[in-house]
Amino acid sequence: MRAHSASVIPLRPLLLSMAISAVPFLAQADTKGAAEALLNSKCQTCHLPTDKGLNRIDESRRTPEGWDMTIVRMMVSHGVELTPEERQTLVKYLADTRGLAPEESAAHRYLLERDFTLIEQPKDQLVADTCARCHSYGRTGLQRRTEEDWRKLVHYHVGQYPVIEIQQGGRDRDWWEIASGEVPKRLDKLYGLDSEAWRKWLQHESVSAAGQWRVVGHRPGWGAYEGQATISSNGDDHYSIKLTLNYANGKQETAEGKAVLYTGYEWRATVKQGDMNVRQVFTLSPDGQTLSGRWYQAGIDAIGGRFEAVRDGKEAPARLLAVEPSYIKAGTTQQVTLYGSNLSGDVSLGEGVEVLKVVERGTGKLVVEARAAAGAKDGVRAVKVGDSQLDKGLALYQKLDYISIEPDQAMARIGGNGGAMPKIPVQFESVGYANGPDGKPGTADDIRLGYFPAKWTLDNLNAYAAQLKDAEYSGRLQEDGLFIPGDAGPNPKRKFGTNNAGELKVTAVVDDAGHKVEASKPLVVTVQRWNDPSIR
Amino acid sequence: MNNNKATLRTALALGAVSLGMMSQLALAAKKDYLVTAARPDKVVVVDAAERKVVNTFTIPNTAKGNSVAGLTVSRDGKVAYVVHNRWETVSGIDLDTGKEVFRAELSSPGIRGKAHFAIDVSPDGKELAVHVSPTKLKLGEYEVQDPYIAVYDTSAGIGAEPLRKLPAPRRTTTLAYSPDYKRLYAYSWDMVVLDPQTGKQIGVHPWRSWKREGYGEPDTLSVSPQFEQANEFATPYFIDYTDKNGKKVTKAGVWSLDLAKDKVRFSEFEGELVMPFSTVINPVRRNEAYTAYTQLTKNDIDTGKLIKRVDLDHTFYTVNVSSDGKELYVGGTINEIAVYDTETLEKKDTIIISEGDQVLSSMRMVQR
Ligand code: HEC
Ligand code: HEC
Repeated sequence: MRAHSASVIPLRPLLLSMAISAVPFLAQADTKGAAEALLNSKCQTCHLPTDKGLNRIDESRRTPEGWDMTIVRMMVSHGVELTPEERQTLVKYLADTRGLAPEESAAHRYLLERDFTLIEQPKDQLVADTCARCHSYGRTGLQRRTEEDWRKLVHYHVGQYPVIEIQQGGRDRDWWEIASGEVPKRLDKLYGLDSEAWRKWLQHESVSAAGQWRVVGHRPGWGAYEGQATISSNGDDHYSIKLTLNYANGKQETAEGKAVLYTGYEWRATVKQGDMNVRQVFTLSPDGQTLSGRWYQAGIDAIGGRFEAVRDGKEAPARLLAVEPSYIKAGTTQQVTLYGSNLSGDVSLGEGVEVLKVVERGTGKLVVEARAAAGAKDGVRAVKVGDSQLDKGLALYQKLDYISIEPDQAMARIGGNGGAMPKIPVQFESVGYANGPDGKPGTADDIRLGYFPAKWTLDNLNAYAAQLKDAEYSGRLQEDGLFIPGDAGPNPKRKFGTNNAGELKVTAVVDDAGHKVEASKPLVVTVQRWNDPSIR
Repeated sequence: MNNNKATLRTALALGAVSLGMMSQLALAAKKDYLVTAARPDKVVVVDAAERKVVNTFTIPNTAKGNSVAGLTVSRDGKVAYVVHNRWETVSGIDLDTGKEVFRAELSSPGIRGKAHFAIDVSPDGKELAVHVSPTKLKLGEYEVQDPYIAVYDTSAGIGAEPLRKLPAPRRTTTLAYSPDYKRLYAYSWDMVVLDPQTGKQIGVHPWRSWKREGYGEPDTLSVSPQFEQANEFATPYFIDYTDKNGKKVTKAGVWSLDLAKDKVRFSEFEGELVMPFSTVINPVRRNEAYTAYTQLTKNDIDTGKLIKRVDLDHTFYTVNVSSDGKELYVGGTINEIAVYDTETLEKKDTIIISEGDQVLSSMRMVQR
């Protein structure tokens, strides 16, 4: 980030991620007894029992990552000594007994999944204005506390970082009075300790993740994939997983690793996928029938993909999961592939799309030749195989009206060059849309068609960037839309010997059978992030 | 960022042998010395005209995590007071011997007290005022307490305890005594005027409550005290202005308070927005204010005219000025002080002052 604002004052958060790097989620956890013994021996000295349980510890609930951050803070700031195994035992136990119900963590899963391309949608503006300037809003939204404990959190902030009141966003209001007054009241209403959802979840009968799974997903840059997973139980919510993934672009990957299921649904795995170390952050649905979420390359969370799996095997219900490609142009004929589990019966691609012939038929994969009628109406068709239906199956369109570049928020980080931090790239994709019934772009009725291949180019974002030649120094954009930022460190070739940070503009041009559509979007190339806690 | 290691080494070597030299100089006509701090634990004295580090002292018994925050020097140029040790300690370092002659711990058992930039020594050098933000460390939780101004007797030596504690507003970023010791200014939401003896509020210069038609609330981060040369506190600020046609623009300006006369003046610059971080007033041509950050600017506060601006080689947090009003010293951030001409804003020199960076440590000027 180029320093444009005169209002920065360095705030030094704990170097948590530095002190104890990878979370040892994969060490075999011990049982409840061991965890309670640890709470007694390691925590109770400072967190005395009250009529509500242990002070602080029983006045809040957190995700596994949230508990881990707090426990690491206890180690770094308050001298608590824990072995990696003990730390893991505590995180597991606390997340199981003082966790979040699936619906409570749903709104901010992107933080756990480390998908930082979304723009947050805070539920409460006052809380966002008071609290979401150093870290995400979701860090707050992923905890539950009593009003008093929310207030204690504010005391911790000011006690630990007194400059909080004089930084930008602090000095322009009575920050302390607001943060310790109104905000805890709001937080208690929004994210109070006691909830119906959590009480119910505690009653919920636990399900095992073990079994055969049918997998589909999308990896930006590579496209759609499908595959199989085998999960076996190692007892005590610990699992092994093996995967094979086949990408629509012809690439293949296998993966293998270990996982822990926290709070009855929070699946966290570390797998070796191809030559990458990959982290899986999935949720197991309450009925145990689907496993879904995001995976990313450890340390380079911008590289990853969405993942969805359903039960496979003879007993599993028939499910249609994906249609590839996801769009068809009116008046054209093309092959369409359907992925699912236990698929049987007739294929229907919806109104105006005729199945000319079945090219390949299996229970997990079907290839058909389809023809979209010339005059058919724009819209997303439900696709059916026998009784299983995918509502958002196949989009039919007359004209590609516009494209939009994903991700929403594009930020790359310089890195490498012998430094400790890797480069953080951005994988761009172009998504095609039709205007929908109202004929206007950018309205609610627009039809998302899916990913279109594009020709990518890079430019300076503004006159200042042009003057500093950002496009020359800040990185390069590959043909496949992958932007690789420049090297870290000062660059003697640049004005002021500045680093390779910059402000760029990325442009995609899609050629849909001779009809060219273009879109651009800003790309910020910034400096390394030295402190990267597990919940930003 | 030390691209000039050779200069640096020379500077340090000179510093090491210069102890005696400095006392000799003291006998001659008074000269300007810059006093600042550098990571991890250094107090640095620079002969401004000679462009030389004349002394580098080590602050004893400190935690090396944070850089020094506030720094102030007694008017006789003998002792520098620094906020260090995770900002929980104030030490007085004798600028001739390097000895720690004063030390006050702001924390005590069960209480963590932190100071930042708001620290000043009284004109006669006998009193030190420090703004402290205390937190009670309870079992398993913290409790924020009301801030106060601790006033110390500077002759109390090591282990000094406050003579008195004055109530103080939160988020005070500057403390400044008036030259006649009648007023202690605390710059917070407003510039509050306190009786230095009792802490009683005896006046106020509105800042946040400053109302002008068409203008919003001013914003500043005033953490670079450098009022000693002109006896005028000055801070850059940003303010939104909406004209009669409803068009909104953000303006930058300089707001200042003459500490001797207790009088405020201000002006906003015309033209393209500059991004100043700190400001100093020329003690000779008092209409001239200079701001530093990524650019160095020269402004006429009587007319609001931005006279000149030049790009700096990198970001500098702080700027100070020579007693004759001819030179500017731009410092803070890394380990160098750049010298500029106040007439032309031409760069005259670079002084490498240390191995470590200054970061946000104050950079003060004394004569001795
Ligand atoms: C040496 C004392 C000490 C020990 C031992 C200790 N803590 Fe703490 N804990 C504190 C203090 C002090 C605070 C309040 C300041 C803070 O939040 O850092 C705190 C705060 C907390 C909080 C509230 C944090 C928040 O976000 O507001 C939780 C939860 C907690 N501790 C859990 C634990 C657990 C679990 C253990 C055992 C692994 C533990 N603590 C061990 C001193 C301790
Ligand atoms: C000045 C920056 C800043 C502001 C403003 C801020 N925070 Fe934080 N917050 C931090 C830092 C730094 C940490 C410590 C994180 C770490 O240990 O990595 C933290 C930690 C947290 C945690 C995790 C604590 C734990 O151990 O579970 C929560 C939850 C949180 N903040 C919520 C809030 C809320 C609510 C507000 C508004 C009242 C707020 N933050 C305002 C900087 C800030």
